[in-house]
Amino acid sequence: METELFVRYGPALLYGFGITILCWLVGSIGGVIVGFLLACLNRWGPRFIGWVIYAYVEVIRGTPFMIQLFILYYGGPYIGLLLTPVQAGIISFIIYGSPYFAEIFRSGFNAIPKGQIEAARCVGLPESRILWRIILPQMLVPITAPLTNFFIILTKETAILSVVTVPELLFQTQTMAAETFTFVEPFLVLSLFYWLMVVVTGWIGARVEQRVTRHLKRA
Amino acid sequence: MSNEPMTTKADDAIITVRNLSKYFDDFEALRDITLDVKRSEVLCLIGPSGSGKSTLLRCLNFLEQYDGGEVHLDGELIGWKDISHNPRKPLSSEALRKQRQHIGMVFQHFHLWPHMSALDNVAEALMSVRKLTKKEAREKAMTALTKVHLEDKAQNYPANLSGGQQQRVAIARAIAMEPRVMLFDEPTSALDPELVGEVLSVMKDLAAEGMTMVVVTHEMGFAAHVADRVAFLDSGRLVTCVPPQEMFGREPDDARVRSFLQTYRERNVV
Amino acid sequence: MNFSFDTIWHNLPYLLAAARWTVIISVCGMAISLVWGTVLCATRLSANPFWRSAATLYISFFRGVPLLVQLLLFYYALPYVGLDLPAVEAAILATGMCSAAYTAEILRGALQSIPRGQTEAAYALGIPSFSLWRRILVPQAIRIGMPSLVNELILLVKVSSLASVVGISELTRIAQNITGETYRPLEIYITAAVIYFAINWILSISGRLIEKKLQIG
Repeated sequence: METELFVRYGPALLYGFGITILCWLVGSIGGVIVGFLLACLNRWGPRFIGWVIYAYVEVIRGTPFMIQLFILYYGGPYIGLLLTPVQAGIISFIIYGSPYFAEIFRSGFNAIPKGQIEAARCVGLPESRILWRIILPQMLVPITAPLTNFFIILTKETAILSVVTVPELLFQTQTMAAETFTFVEPFLVLSLFYWLMVVVTGWIGARVEQRVTRHLKRA
Repeated sequence: MSNEPMTTKADDAIITVRNLSKYFDDFEALRDITLDVKRSEVLCLIGPSGSGKSTLLRCLNFLEQYDGGEVHLDGELIGWKDISHNPRKPLSSEALRKQRQHIGMVFQHFHLWPHMSALDNVAEALMSVRKLTKKEAREKAMTALTKVHLEDKAQNYPANLSGGQQQRVAIARAIAMEPRVMLFDEPTSALDPELVGEVLSVMKDLAAEGMTMVVVTHEMGFAAHVADRVAFLDSGRLVTCVPPQEMFGREPDDARVRSFLQTYRERNVV
Repeated sequence: MNFSFDTIWHNLPYLLAAARWTVIISVCGMAISLVWGTVLCATRLSANPFWRSAATLYISFFRGVPLLVQLLLFYYALPYVGLDLPAVEAAILATGMCSAAYTAEILRGALQSIPRGQTEAAYALGIPSFSLWRRILVPQAIRIGMPSLVNELILLVKVSSLASVVGISELTRIAQNITGETYRPLEIYITAAVIYFAINWILSISGRLIEKKLQIG
């Protein structure tokens, strides 16, 4: 393997890795927040909002991420929405991820035994307190694994951002490959970067899961 | 309070149920129930499964919205804001919350919050409803846990408690709020037989202290020895409500009561 | 801006024709995925530790690296090793081989969710191993795994859009081309999205019908 090649392109690759992580983190955390709000609206909002959210979830889950990205990035300017590639990437990530996150939170809500909420109402806890003290902490148990899983799926979706010239990891790798006429080595290095993200995310997820299930362990 | 003659106090009804009815879609779960619970009385509800005894209990604190009739606690209508109009208007969740603070409830499956220690399960409502400081709430919770003989298990999570211990924590959680009445929904039905005794004994202590209790139960021994009156329900109707001696002491007049108690007699429970 | 339904109406035939390739890529990819996934699943569950870890490694690589990267690798790297596949075939192969990693895990999960007692009962009755798999385990695994497999097919329809990057004239690529001519990205891409949605909607409805049928049978 030509080491001097990687010395030359190393900074560009690392920069691309940084952009990948930026888009991924901001996009998926934004997706978690929007998804949580959607799940809450679905649970406590009026009936018709539930239908609107259902349609949103189905439409976003039924269409490719790439098309969503194109509609936002290429179509946006026609309705006065002029975005840089990175902005478009992050926003489309939030739009793409939020319905999946909303579904995860919805199943989390449903996993709390009804009796526990009844018990909370019987001692007179206010609804907001029930959400924060009873539902949320317990919801973390069933949702940590699917959340981790989806964060991992999203790490890989970042590669698609290269198509709208976001200067992320794959984009930098392709540039390097095109300029040096080497393909196998840069792509292997690239795979290594993604693998690293996946492994680290999985590890963090496992630690979080350990943490949130602590109280269920029998001494 | 001390000026009041003891007799009127004993006869004074704390819960009055008038012509209560409840439907699940087309199914009539409760029909025209009229019943009083007196202050400091222990009333047991018995009957075959599906007879509506749990539903009746859950109507008393509006976990089930009853459709017809009225439930009053100390003269205050439970659950509905306005029953003169059809459909009825329920109270705001805030007002309902206020009413429920005075009605303690214990469930068949305990429903402790598994992510909180026993102590925090009891202290939670003291902090967020009674607005006590964390320290005051924990002291008070400790007193309640001591009452159910679990002071040494205060730091345990529910997963590390036996069923009987969990149910006693659930009782402590309810009595810490100093309710005017306590509702028990089959409190020992989910327990292994050897753990039933410790829960019943805590309930006996409560009764002896003068707590008003309504208990849905299959423990005929408890009904016979602790209850002041026993109500028998069948198919959503109140068949009879009499002192335990009358219910268990002689051959019942009603065929339904007779056949129900017969199954227990065969197993030498009563 | 004015939303031009004319543009949509005009270009709809081209988009629908391109959607045919979307369906071909995803269905052929799924076929490869099922066959290769079954082999992988069997290897993953085999007693031989070498094959077992080889399958595990395969699965973790194909699940850990973006499909787009795999596609580009197939497209650029295969000629290096002397395999010059046409673009469409390369895309189908890459999609199928990646998807097989997921299919293998779906099947494994389904097989392992069948209570062990059934296998023991079959052995106790003296049912031979082959019949046990063919008559008892596989039918149940398909029924249990069916919702996930339909999901996987829907996923393939969506990821087939990545094939546009290596120049295959499927729906996304044709939409890009038409956009280049008409400068109407909003109309064209939304139409493409509707077509994708319709395909997936049909798939999920038929999936539910099949599930129902399997449940009765």
